[in-house]
Amino acid sequence: MKKKLSSICVLLLLAASSCKDLTVTPTDAISTETLVTTTAGLTNALNGAYALFKDHITFNGIVDQNNMYLRQYYHLSDFASDDIVCGQVTTDPLFYSFSLGHAPSQGNTRYFWYVSYKIISGVNTVIDAVEKSGDQDAAKQQLLGECYFLRAFCHFNLVRLFGKPYSVDPSAPGIVLRTSLTDEAKKPRSTVSEVYASVIADAEKAASLMTQNRGVQYASKEAAWALLSRVNLYKEDNQKALDYANQVINSNRFKLETKTTYPNLFANATTGTETIFCVAFTAADDYGKFGSIASMIYSDGNSGWGEEYASSSLRNVMSKHTEDVRWNYIVPAKDAGGTVQKKNGIEMYYISKFSFQGGSPNLSSPIMFRLAEMYLNKAEAEAKLNQTSAALNDLDEIRKNRGLEGSLYGGKLPSGYTVLDAVLEERRIELAFEGHRTYDIFRNKRTLNKTYWGYHLAGLKETDIDLSRAPSGYPNMTVPYTSNRIIYFIPVDEVLSNPQVTQNP
Amino acid sequence: MKKVVLLFFSLMVFARAFSQSQPVSGRITSGTDQQPLPGAAITVKGTTVGVSSQADGSFRINIPSQKATLVITSMGFLSKEVEVTGGQKDLVIFLSENITQLNDVVVVGYSSKKQSELTSAVTVVSADKLKDVTANNVGTMLQGKVAGLQVVNSSGAPGSQPEIRLRGVSSVNANQSPLYVVDGIIGGNYDPNDVESVTVLKDAASTALYGSQANAGVIIVTTKSAKSGKTRFEAKISSGFRTADFGKMNLMNSNELYDYQKEFYRDYIVGATDNSYKIDLIKFYSERPLELRNQNYDWAKESFKAAPMYNVYIAASGKTEKNDYYVGASYYNEKGTFMNTNYQRINLRGNSTYHFSKKLDITNNINLSASTGRSYDYMDMYYSFLNMPWDNPYDANGNPVYVDGTSTFKWWSRDKINPIHTVQNSDHTYKGFDVNYDFMLNYRITDWLTFTSTNRVSAAFNKAVNYVSPLAAGTYHNDGYIDELNTLNYGGISNNLLKFNFDMGDHALSGLAGIIFEGGRTEFSGGSGRGLPIGLKVLNVASNTQLVNGYNLTTELRSFLSQVNYTYKGRYILSGSFRVDGSSAFPESKQYGSFPSVSGAWIVSNEEFLKSNNVINNLKLRASYGVTGTQDIGATRYLGLFSLTTQYNSLTGAVPYQLANPLLTWEAKHQTNIGFDLSLFKRINLTVDAYRNDTKNLLLQVSQPLSVGFETRWENAGNVINKGIEIGLNTTNITNKNFEWVTDFNINFNNNKIYGLPADIVKTGSWSISQIYRNGGNLYEFYMPKWLGVDAQTGAPVWEKLVYNDAGEAVASEKTSNYAEATIQEVGSALPKFQGGFNNSFRYKSFALRVNTYFNYGNKVFSNNLRFMMNDGHEPYYNQIKLPDNAKVWSGPGDTEATEPSPQNSANSTETSTRYLRNGSYFTIRNIAFNYTLPSAFAKKLNFENITVGLTADNVATFSNFLGQDPQTTITPGGFATPGVSDFKYPNNRQYLFTVNFNF
Repeated sequence: MKKKLSSICVLLLLAASSCKDLTVTPTDAISTETLVTTTAGLTNALNGAYALFKDHITFNGIVDQNNMYLRQYYHLSDFASDDIVCGQVTTDPLFYSFSLGHAPSQGNTRYFWYVSYKIISGVNTVIDAVEKSGDQDAAKQQLLGECYFLRAFCHFNLVRLFGKPYSVDPSAPGIVLRTSLTDEAKKPRSTVSEVYASVIADAEKAASLMTQNRGVQYASKEAAWALLSRVNLYKEDNQKALDYANQVINSNRFKLETKTTYPNLFANATTGTETIFCVAFTAADDYGKFGSIASMIYSDGNSGWGEEYASSSLRNVMSKHTEDVRWNYIVPAKDAGGTVQKKNGIEMYYISKFSFQGGSPNLSSPIMFRLAEMYLNKAEAEAKLNQTSAALNDLDEIRKNRGLEGSLYGGKLPSGYTVLDAVLEERRIELAFEGHRTYDIFRNKRTLNKTYWGYHLAGLKETDIDLSRAPSGYPNMTVPYTSNRIIYFIPVDEVLSNPQVTQNP
Repeated sequence: MKKVVLLFFSLMVFARAFSQSQPVSGRITSGTDQQPLPGAAITVKGTTVGVSSQADGSFRINIPSQKATLVITSMGFLSKEVEVTGGQKDLVIFLSENITQLNDVVVVGYSSKKQSELTSAVTVVSADKLKDVTANNVGTMLQGKVAGLQVVNSSGAPGSQPEIRLRGVSSVNANQSPLYVVDGIIGGNYDPNDVESVTVLKDAASTALYGSQANAGVIIVTTKSAKSGKTRFEAKISSGFRTADFGKMNLMNSNELYDYQKEFYRDYIVGATDNSYKIDLIKFYSERPLELRNQNYDWAKESFKAAPMYNVYIAASGKTEKNDYYVGASYYNEKGTFMNTNYQRINLRGNSTYHFSKKLDITNNINLSASTGRSYDYMDMYYSFLNMPWDNPYDANGNPVYVDGTSTFKWWSRDKINPIHTVQNSDHTYKGFDVNYDFMLNYRITDWLTFTSTNRVSAAFNKAVNYVSPLAAGTYHNDGYIDELNTLNYGGISNNLLKFNFDMGDHALSGLAGIIFEGGRTEFSGGSGRGLPIGLKVLNVASNTQLVNGYNLTTELRSFLSQVNYTYKGRYILSGSFRVDGSSAFPESKQYGSFPSVSGAWIVSNEEFLKSNNVINNLKLRASYGVTGTQDIGATRYLGLFSLTTQYNSLTGAVPYQLANPLLTWEAKHQTNIGFDLSLFKRINLTVDAYRNDTKNLLLQVSQPLSVGFETRWENAGNVINKGIEIGLNTTNITNKNFEWVTDFNINFNNNKIYGLPADIVKTGSWSISQIYRNGGNLYEFYMPKWLGVDAQTGAPVWEKLVYNDAGEAVASEKTSNYAEATIQEVGSALPKFQGGFNNSFRYKSFALRVNTYFNYGNKVFSNNLRFMMNDGHEPYYNQIKLPDNAKVWSGPGDTEATEPSPQNSANSTETSTRYLRNGSYFTIRNIAFNYTLPSAFAKKLNFENITVGLTADNVATFSNFLGQDPQTTITPGGFATPGVSDFKYPNNRQYLFTVNFNF
């Protein structure tokens, strides 16, 4: 017995010393070092960067369905505009875009900031690896180009939300630029003009690297040009904005939807002829009531909250042309008697640009760039370069395809309009709810006018609402481009963890 | 003749004396809980006559004269002398527990020691003291009973477990819960009814032997084994009910809400010149018709109902020459107070030790348990608190009414959701099965050397299902939803030790050395889908959006350990231990860590000069120093990782998931403890310990600027020192034949300080609630703007704005109504300054009463649900909490009494600030237990040896200034929670039980 036991002891000791490898590898993750060594790994990382536009990722330890890059991309811009009206006050931070009660602590800007930089971090890892490898084959160059594109796109979207418009103050603080993996974590904000320079450099590089067409779900040379057209337009480098728009148009890869096909575009973005780049959502990405983009602005009764509506201001502008097929994306919620229902006194005109992919009320593949915008960028650039008739012709290109073939400008400016007014009005109607309106107003140094009934008016009661007249006496009904509240505060996390970052006033 | 007569007479007297030997019989019972005490020694004072009590505590002894004094002794109890008269029957003798338990054997880290030989800070809690509280876990039972042990019941959901912290919080992101050791092996499953005793190891002298897993202390659970030869049965049945304890979360009723909402109609537009500041009643009545006053529905009352619970326990134990056995079975059933929630568990345990020879014992223990229950959806509870009293949850037939966006009837509440209807049409079930098998071999190689091998294999399978019927309103209406998650967990642990023990007169030397392997794997798999036919709830019938998920986790630990104890003359004890752990949690170069300890004790009362002292029964001085560590942070935290859990356009996506830290290593806690145990007059026992625990290389998820794309990075950053004093005082205030009063008091003062951080770290969690880690600061220090109330002129909320000079010192305080401008500052910690328990037990004859209380002082709790329930009209369609008496909503310029901002001018008023940060101190009557032992004659008639009946009430009352549910709030970082942030939690329970205990 004694011997047996002693031998057991010896065996156990031997066993202990023999299995010396304690290393455990994760089962659903891959180490960064390994990932960057294979093409598959780099491709997965790029896919991951695209996925972050649509995923709800863990933030503060939980997956909050409110948190999605694109959901906030639209909320933070369009809810601040005069195209969407608020029908319900709420403690959800999306309300601050209406009320301008911004706070550094608001959850939606915090997440948007975070996930933007996560996309940038992912593509920076790929860029670093591909450039170090010196690999020159076309597929790798395309991959690299898409990464540069995404970095430019994310930096640009950030600077629009957190930095003043370039045209207003290019030397104002912009955002933290992350273009290298070896940057110090604590880093100050670059100026708006520095950010624009970096965005343009990245986008130009992206355009030069990409030679493949992988479908509109992925970035392409044309997408990079479209971005360059937009950025240069914002920068008021009008000739470049015009040139890049032309490059996209002349690529002949895209075609404007017609008045018959346009109403189906947004439910079928990936196959639309006009789509330059969209973020692909599949049936697996149908997030329902809590997490979809559509759920705040559309509901079939159960599918969403449906508390925000197309504003009377936008509908008034569109009311000149009931034949305009763009009305198709504004869906009044009518009761059995055919009367438009009201929520808390506000008429419920749902918005359907983010619905009906595969028939689902909450699914779409949001379009980031489409051909119509190129015509509009071009028209605006032309307007600013005093090429009035060219500008109006470009607007007509769009109007022809939207059911307004009977109301073309034909090179003639209607009375009371400047050419820029005409361009901005067309732009407003065409690109409504697509995250353009506030930037278009403020970069053109115009005033946002929200003199209509809605819960952006502080202290509004339902009985105050008299739809037959405009509201008066409320604060914040108009927002000049000089207001501090046309942009958001830098999120509290960044300010507290990165003391070099200054807060917006 | 005279001599003969004298002799005869003497004989007569002798005979008489002989015949005077008379029987006395009765029972020996524990004074604390009326339980029979088997094996107690009963001797007649001044003679050698003695017997032992039987399994039912009964005894029969002959006394040599008409009157005698019986001396009764039993391990763990104070000996007692009782005067008896010959012929007395049905004597009931109560023994008081001896808290010092000097000769009791205490299980401490891989070995057992006599209490007197301990050199470390240890608290033993016997099953007796635990069982006043009926719960599904031991933690809840320990609340208020161990100095230095903080027990937080942060949820009242059926089957939930409390959070336990020992001597403050010394780790942050690594596991902070004490290590459970069941029957000598780390981890393991057991039923609270099967617990014989619980030992809490508090300082490094005993915990260092558990090395890297013992940073937060060790709780050793020993399950029952046979006590006496005779087969003994025990049955315990508890039954009663629970009600939800909402604390001070009193919601408004219809009228209160109606009157409150008038404030929304004050004629006030900020900046306008024609404000009258009067309430515009015309507008108010047109929007809030008077009939609303008659619609009063209490959603919380409809959603939370009194719920039954019961617990049945049956056990048998016995001893033969070769075999000891214990078999226990228990069934626990608890309905939740919230709709459609419950928990039930069945547990079977068999413990058996077979003595093959004098040298070899083999123990086989097996524990099987199965549990099932129903959880809840947070949103359903959310609406149960926030839906308005003006909406009727039921239709005309008394069924929960269906409401959604297409409903045509008026629905006042914020969202068109009837949680009662949703709950009725959904299910959140979970099931679990768990098996533990322990195999222990004990071989005495020589009289001084023993080999022991203790091994456990365990496996558990758990399944959780969330199901929403297509009938429920909301996202899944007409579609339905199901998800399932299966978790398989298995592992093994093997401890192989050589133990030695030399006794050489004045010197005694003992110790052990050995190796341990530990490994485990958890495999997760699940799926979800939508589009279910009504009535069916399996994944197979999901018609769309089918998703799958699954992953595995593996951990491995390998250890060498050793310990040596030396005792000189039974007075001086010196002990040292050394453990080396290798963990898979760290990079290859950092996998091994060493954990030494030294400790000593001096039993002063064994010195000659105190031996004959009648005042001091025991005095022991103790000191220890040692190191424990932490590795329990999850696998592969040191690697830079991309997670592969997403897809784009149906192709695999890799997302940056974790920043690399190739230097990540052990967190080491250097613990120093000094203390003494003093016992006076055999009535007063005092234990005092002072400790200083310095956790170095804190494993911390260090906040990153979000602009690097990561929230945190795992680092060994900074250190935290916990300093504190623990006092445990036990006094027997009164004890006599019929009445006894015993008091237990314990308190722990703890203070923690952070030092050695390269820079401040601010962690911002959900709802933007931040906490700061700063050198010289406390853990879990809230960091937010300070609320200063209301601007009397404008009704706007006001926060503090500090003005700083060039040196960065605050030189002035200003008020601001611009939230973004308010100074973010330190405003108090979520950790208490002191906490403890005060417990009294009384016995009068066969009646016993025990009152346990618990207190906690000096922590802050952020009452996050006030964000919704005191929202100044930001959410006018949520019900509101009844405002405290001194609260007043601003009514016009110059209203200096206002405490709540004007609903017309309340921008950012519900953003994170000290407005919702409350004092979390409380005192609670944790438990009142009343027991009565039926007369044994009556029990015998029913063929039982002993019957005890009892009534207990738990969470009887909580005294606190906290506004919200009761202030017991999670103190674990991570997940949804920031430590000290209270959300709509499953309310804790008041519990009322009737218990019957049978012995036969």
